[in-house]
Amino acid sequence: MSVEPTETFRGVPVSHTDFTSYTEIYEHYRRLDADREAARFQYNDTTDRGFFMLQRYDDVQRGFQQHTTWTTAVRSALNPGIGEPLLPQDLNGPPHLRLRRVLNQFFSPAAIRRMEPQARARCVELIEELRPAGRCDFVQEFAIRFPTDLFLAVLGLPTSDGEKFVVWSEEFFGALLAGDMSTAAVAKKNILDYFTEAVDERRAHPRDPDVDMVSRLVQADVDGEELSHDDILTILLTLMLAGLDTTRSALGYIFTHLAEHPDDRQRLVDEPDMVPKATEEFLRLYPLVFQAGREVQEDGEFEGLQLTKGDVVWIGIAQANRDPRKYEDPDTFDMDRHGASTHLAFGGGPHRCLGMHLARMGIRVVLEEWHPRIPHYRISDGVELTERGGQLTLPTLPLEWKV
Amino acid sequence: MFISIDADKCMGHGRCYSTAPDLLSDDEEGFVAERGRCWAVPDEQLDRAYEAADSCPESAIELLETAPTDA
Repeated sequence: MSVEPTETFRGVPVSHTDFTSYTEIYEHYRRLDADREAARFQYNDTTDRGFFMLQRYDDVQRGFQQHTTWTTAVRSALNPGIGEPLLPQDLNGPPHLRLRRVLNQFFSPAAIRRMEPQARARCVELIEELRPAGRCDFVQEFAIRFPTDLFLAVLGLPTSDGEKFVVWSEEFFGALLAGDMSTAAVAKKNILDYFTEAVDERRAHPRDPDVDMVSRLVQADVDGEELSHDDILTILLTLMLAGLDTTRSALGYIFTHLAEHPDDRQRLVDEPDMVPKATEEFLRLYPLVFQAGREVQEDGEFEGLQLTKGDVVWIGIAQANRDPRKYEDPDTFDMDRHGASTHLAFGGGPHRCLGMHLARMGIRVVLEEWHPRIPHYRISDGVELTERGGQLTLPTLPLEWKV
Repeated sequence: MFISIDADKCMGHGRCYSTAPDLLSDDEEGFVAERGRCWAVPDEQLDRAYEAADSCPESAIELLETAPTDA
């Protein structure tokens, strides 16, 4: 019996696994599981800079806590050093914390509770628009619309703008991922013009900065300085980029699961009190942002892994969420799972997802309002679902139900 | 048993006060309002306190047999 010689780089096995393609649904979770079980740490050579992979729950959790020496100079191990400037994400240390403190109050559980009735009413409207048809593309017709309206509501802007806004944001996001910078620039200009109008309006007619985010941003005192107009626009664009595609994608995987698992769906219909627990288990099992990147700022050791300044680290969110060392039967959905909420779908450390409580509320409201109205649904015949790598999403999810 | 919450480690995930709402509460920014404190846990809250500690993705919550002398 011969043993394959293992290729290594700086003492760890080399992985050639690609995580950026379009594949059949769930293929990325299979690849992520396989890489995690192949070795505790790996070096992946599929990008120009390569990256060291942290893959087990404990390593991923500790990885997020290395924020004094690993920074967001690289935000994604798969896309180091390119992309839009983001705020507050690109900041680190005290300047990052100061800007987060300006924003936190609009994304806290208390703030999200205050906006839940508006979110619920909008969710019901969107479902009722779709229900009579007996079918929809859940991703295109619902899952992207609702988070867009939520985003506008958080900003204190009219959800009636959602219809035009969703076109721009889809063009922008799609063009960015495709590397089509001229289309991206046109879409971005529409979005920035729209934000500029809102910012100018709040400068002229400020509202209560304790509840109106744009008013707070134009008045914010960050270390004795106001935020520049450009920084405010970057913040708003960042919130858009962070919140829309992710929530849409989460809803896509959740409704695929429920369409294919009638017992789980029936339980949510019969026991709506289970929705919060189910939401945490969905977030654990189907994380869309399956990795975060960091750039090492000084030479050092992490759990025996030798890292040098400039290395790119992969923090394997989905690998942690499905780590059998942490969760029993980790690839199975278990609504009653004890401790599901320890998942790291929203990251950790000071850069943990600002919108986590908004996302949870949005998902919960959809599950609570959809199922009394459309309790039984299925994926249309002949559909083969695909997923986008990089940051997971389902491009389409055709659903049907009896009316 | 004493519960101690490290104010520097807390990042406002909100799992602890969702898990133990009668022991912990949230502030306006979403951090646990009791961060930076150490106090005795009522016996009937002890199970919830352990769950809250386990639920923290930052390992910011500790349960201690005795109060730290410098507290």
